[in-house]
Formats: sequence, structure tokens, C-alpha cells
Amino acid sequence: MTTTTTTPLSGTDRLRTSATSARRTKRRRIRKDLLRSRIAAWTAILVIGAFGMLPVYWLLATALSGPEQTFQFPPKLVPTDITFSNFTALAENDQLIKYLVNSLIVASITAVLSVVVATYMGYSFSKFRYRGRRSLMHLVLASQMFPQALLLVTLYAVFSSFGLLNTYTALVLSFTTFTMPLCVWMLKGIFDTIPDALLEAASIDGASRWRTLHSIVAPLAAPGMIAAGLFAFVRGWNDFIFAVTLADKEKQTLPPGLVSTYIGEFQTAWPELMAASLVVSAPVVVAFMFLQRYLVGGMTAGSVKS
Amino acid sequence: MTTSGISRRGALRMFGIGALGVAGAGALGACAPSGAGTSSNGGDTKSKNFDFTSWSLNEEAAKPSIEKIIAAWEKDKGSKVRAVSYPYNEYLSQLTLKLGGGGTTGAVHLDIAWLAAVAQMGKLADLSSVALKGGYTNVALDSGMYDGKQYGLPWNTGSIGVIANSKLLEKAGIKKHPTTIEEFEDSLRELKGLGGGVVPYAAATKVAQLKDIFPWMQTFGCTLLEDSKVTIGDDASIDAVTWYKKLHDEKLIAADVDRFDARALFGQGKAAFYDDAIIGKGVTAAQSKDKTLADAMQPMKRPVLRSGDTPQALLWGGVIAIVKGKGQDAATEFALHTTSDRATTTEYFASRALPPSTTAGLADPKVAQDTFTTEWTEKITDTATGSPFWQFAQNAQIEEAVAKQVQAVLVGKSKPKDAMKKAAEEVTDLIRR
Repeated sequence: MTTTTTTPLSGTDRLRTSATSARRTKRRRIRKDLLRSRIAAWTAILVIGAFGMLPVYWLLATALSGPEQTFQFPPKLVPTDITFSNFTALAENDQLIKYLVNSLIVASITAVLSVVVATYMGYSFSKFRYRGRRSLMHLVLASQMFPQALLLVTLYAVFSSFGLLNTYTALVLSFTTFTMPLCVWMLKGIFDTIPDALLEAASIDGASRWRTLHSIVAPLAAPGMIAAGLFAFVRGWNDFIFAVTLADKEKQTLPPGLVSTYIGEFQTAWPELMAASLVVSAPVVVAFMFLQRYLVGGMTAGSVKS
Repeated sequence: MTTSGISRRGALRMFGIGALGVAGAGALGACAPSGAGTSSNGGDTKSKNFDFTSWSLNEEAAKPSIEKIIAAWEKDKGSKVRAVSYPYNEYLSQLTLKLGGGGTTGAVHLDIAWLAAVAQMGKLADLSSVALKGGYTNVALDSGMYDGKQYGLPWNTGSIGVIANSKLLEKAGIKKHPTTIEEFEDSLRELKGLGGGVVPYAAATKVAQLKDIFPWMQTFGCTLLEDSKVTIGDDASIDAVTWYKKLHDEKLIAADVDRFDARALFGQGKAAFYDDAIIGKGVTAAQSKDKTLADAMQPMKRPVLRSGDTPQALLWGGVIAIVKGKGQDAATEFALHTTSDRATTTEYFASRALPPSTTAGLADPKVAQDTFTTEWTEKITDTATGSPFWQFAQNAQIEEAVAKQVQAVLVGKSKPKDAMKKAAEEVTDLIRR
């Protein structure tokens, strides 16, 4: 038979033990809190991610399905009979390729034109003082406050009278009308952050105003200019109502082109439409991937002044 | 550095400048000289060349047959027809804008629901004397009339009615089509008894298509509009909506269904009845795995409240109208040929299953031997009427206003009486605009 004797803990030991256990409890609580907040963060990320990505997944799933599966009721989350025919059909559709080329031309010119004009306007608003400057700035901003459709009728009449309907010019000018104000204000904000001392230094070194803008200011504002250009490109790429109204089939861009091709009076060719939508969104996605750091930098550059 | 904060005075100035800018742009548009695009009313009416505007020229199913008609015309007459098209959902707004600006000339394809709105612009030619040469049926001629004048030559005249799946009816032991509301309800309950997720009647319950409620309101005795007074909100309309709600609550109709969903359900053998235009047969059968479905699809007279009542259906179809001005004469001749030439209309029927609008066309063996079409004409189109709201340019808003109130009832947010009262008020407001 064995006897176990327990030595009673001294007061100091008791204090140490309780402190250790309190530390452990605290650490456990912290770990638990950390875990909880991590779970909450991941859940939020997953929910938001699903909210953003599920439509894209559904786009892909429909694009890979045949018409019978598309109309299955209740719908199936994962397509069973996968087909690539909706994608191959795109390549064979000359008219869609024409719409794609039109979109590229119009959106690119809109982006370049918006950035060029907005750079000069923004620079002028930011660095020069002249009569009517503030009114002009407000006028530019005010043009953003009206629904675009409001100006459609007027623009249609003006372009019609100048014989510009059904031309790239009509599309580029109308898109630029709506992209320029934001580009101007965006770039003005960026120019505001460039210290006047830098311009004065350039002037002392003998640089003309043009030289200062082109050789000193523009390189510094490049991220903002890229962001503004990207914004203008996307705006031109996505426009529907102006493209459908101001251009005929020969000059129409992708958004009205896709609607014309796939959405009819009686039915919508969903799988083909989804495949086409995926393909045509690719250039914008790629552009964003390459230029996103400029976009984020450019959008926030004007928010803090030196 | 400049400060870009906007003071109250600055904001006011900005609004002032903005308003001036818009007014200036409007004035510029108004003062714009009439260029090439605005010459429709002053153009050469004798010109052999003209435009033909049609949404169908965008659509894969219709495009080849219409292009064939145009090509044959061009070859025969030595003229040039420029094909113009806009997507169906954008068609009316685009056409209205371009017609108003003088950018549309020649022949224009119109849904009969849009004719009144377009005719009110005063740009369309009166085709009353031309229509006499076409041999059109009376129902068809009516579909192209507005304010006592023939503005459109009827191209295709059909209706929106109820289509039944005979296989499902047979499975449920239903021997004949129900003819009254009471019989219809009994049939729906028997069909529900089949189980397997069957929606007995795939009626429209989404706002986009809830205008399908109008023929049911008419079935219950509501005239919708009488002597320019909106009658929605009367007892008949309330009874109709109460009945619809009953079907919804008993799950005899399903929530969130539009025409596309209804076709999908019907195509998969999960709905026994649904509402569609005559062309719906081809569309639904094409997207169904069941290749025998087309044979099982039957047009059915809409059930009536009391035996002996007239079955209600909404007229549906297209007309060709002519814009006054450039190419008017040749375009009129083209429209008459396209809509009434027997060979042309029967060939168009063969490719698109759209019934002709002439007596001779309907009597042609190619059309007459199509049982579905002849039955549809007899059972549905013969008693179909146009919507009294088509005469208003705000027709789409009117339909939406009523649809929203009906949906509010279906989801339990409103009582039929309150909803119909509100719908009547909204429709009255829209009509007065």
C-alpha cells in the first residue's frame, strides 16, 4: 500500500500559479478572440467574394452549357454536359468581330482624347489664376449632374445636322462628353499635389510653361493620367445607349451589338450571350490587372495635399 | 495651391451654369439646320429607293426570310432597300427619336401595341385606300388602325392565348379543355395532384409579364377603360385579382414566373398551361428535350366566367407603316406586296410560323393544313382584342403600374381592393400626362 502525501503550496507559489493560470486564460481568450475575428473576417471575405464572383461563375457555367440545360428548371449549379460550341461560334461570327474592333477603336480614342484634353484643362485649373476659372470648373462639374439620356436627343440632332451620325467621331465625341469632367477633376486634384516650388524651379532653370508641363508635371502625374484613361476606356467600352442611337450596324460597338445579336423579341440566346460577354470583358479585365496599381494610386493621389 | 471646396454660392452658381448649359445645348439642337438625316418629310416621295426598318432584321430566326423578301423586291423593281434595325427592347424609343428627328424614312415594321404611339407623331401616311387592295381580314385591318385611319398594313395577325399540354392533361385524367373558370380551377387542382413539382398553370407573376392579367380582368367583366375613364378598381378587376391570388396561394400558379420561365417549365413537362403568342409553340418546342412536345401543344380558349361569355385574348402581331416623305410610294408598294402577296406571305409562314393577315393567305393549303395555326385562329384570334391602353404613349408605364399592384397582392403586401384602387389612380395619372 502506498501513501501519497501532498505538500501544501506556499503563499508565493499559490500567487505564481494563479498568475500563470490567469495568463494562460488570458492568452487562451486572446487566441479565441483572434480565431473568432479571423473566422468572422474570412466569412465576410467569402460572402463578399461569393457576392462578387457568383455572377461570374454563373456567366461561365451558362456559357459552357447547351440551351436545354440553360432552361432547366430548377437550374443546376454545375453544368453536366459541358460544351465549348458557344465560344467557337463567336470566332465564326464576323459581325461580332466587327463590333469588337469598333469598341476597341472608339474606347481607345475616347481614353486618349479624354486624358489629353483633361490634362491641359486640369493643369490650367490647378496652376493658373484667371477670370472665369471657377465658373468653368463648376460648369465642367455641373455637366455630370444631368442624366446622360437627357442630352441624347440634343446630341442626336446636332450630330445629324453636321452629318456625323453613324461615324466613329459621333461616338468618340459623345463618350468624351461624359468622361472628360471626371478626368478633369481627377487630374486637377493630382496637379494640386505637385508643389508650386517645383514649377518655379523649372522656370528658374529656363523651362517654358509647355516644357514644364510636358517634361516635369506630366511624368509625375502619369499614374493619375493612366487611371483617368482607364476610366474613360471602360466608360467608352460599356456604353449602350449612345452607341445604339448614334451609330448604325457598321459602327456600332459591342454592348448594342451583343443585344442585337442575342436578345430577340421571343427569346434570348443565353449561352451564346454569356460566352460573348466573357470574351468581350477580357480586354477590360486584362487592362485592369496590369494597370490596377496606377488606378488605385491615381484615384487617391489627389486626396491628400502636400 | 488652389482650394477646390465648393461654397454655397459656388454651388448655386454651378447649378445656374449647368442649367444654362443644358438650355444652350437644347437650343443648339433646336436651331440645328436640317441636314441629310432630317429630310423625311421633304424628300422625294417618288424615289425607288427607301429604308425598311424592322427589329426582326436583327434576329437569327427572322433575318434570312426577310432579307429574301427584300432581295426579291430589289431584283424585281431595280431599286435599293436599306435595311435598318434596332434591338426589340430598344426599338420603340429609337424609332421615336429618329422619326422625330427625320432620320427614319420608308417602311417601318411596328408591333401593333406601338402603332398608336407612333401614329400620334404625325409622321405616318394614311394607308386607308391601299389597305382595300390587300384582302386583309377584319381583325387584321383593325390591328393597323388608329383614330379611324389605317396607318399600318397588317403583316402578321395573331394573339396571345393559353397553350395546353395535352399529355399532362391526359395524365391527370382531364378529357377536355376547361371552358369556365370553375372547370379551370378543378383542372388545376387535378394537375397539382400529379406531384413531381408540376406547376399546373405557369401564369405570369413577375412584373415584366404581369400584363397578362388584363385578359383575366376582362374575363371577370372589367373593361379596363371606358369613355376615357379607367375602370380598373371596379368589382370585376378586384374579383380577378382575388382569384389570381387564390391560385397563387393554393400553388396552382407559381411565384416569380415570366414568359421565359413559363416556356422553360412547359418545355420540361412541368406546366400544363401557360400564356404565349402563337409563335411561342416553335420557341418552346425548340428548347425542350421532349421532341414530341410540339404535337402535345394545343391552343385553348381562355376559360370564361359564365358559360356563353366571350373568351378573352389579347391581339398580337405586326404591321408595316409608311413614313411620309422620301421613298413613300415605293415603300407603300413594298409594304402591300410583303403583307398581302399570297406566295410571299405563305413562304414567310412556312419559315416563321407567323400566320398571314389576308383571307387568301389563311386559306392557302400551306397555312390551312397547319392544325395548330387554324385552331389558334378559330379558338383565340377570332375573339382577340387590342388593349385599350395601346392608344397611349405611356402604355408601357400603365402596364407596369398595374403589374406592380397585382404583384403586391400576390406577395401579400396589399389587399386586392386597395391595390386596384391604387393602380387605377396611377393609370389615370399616366393617361392625363
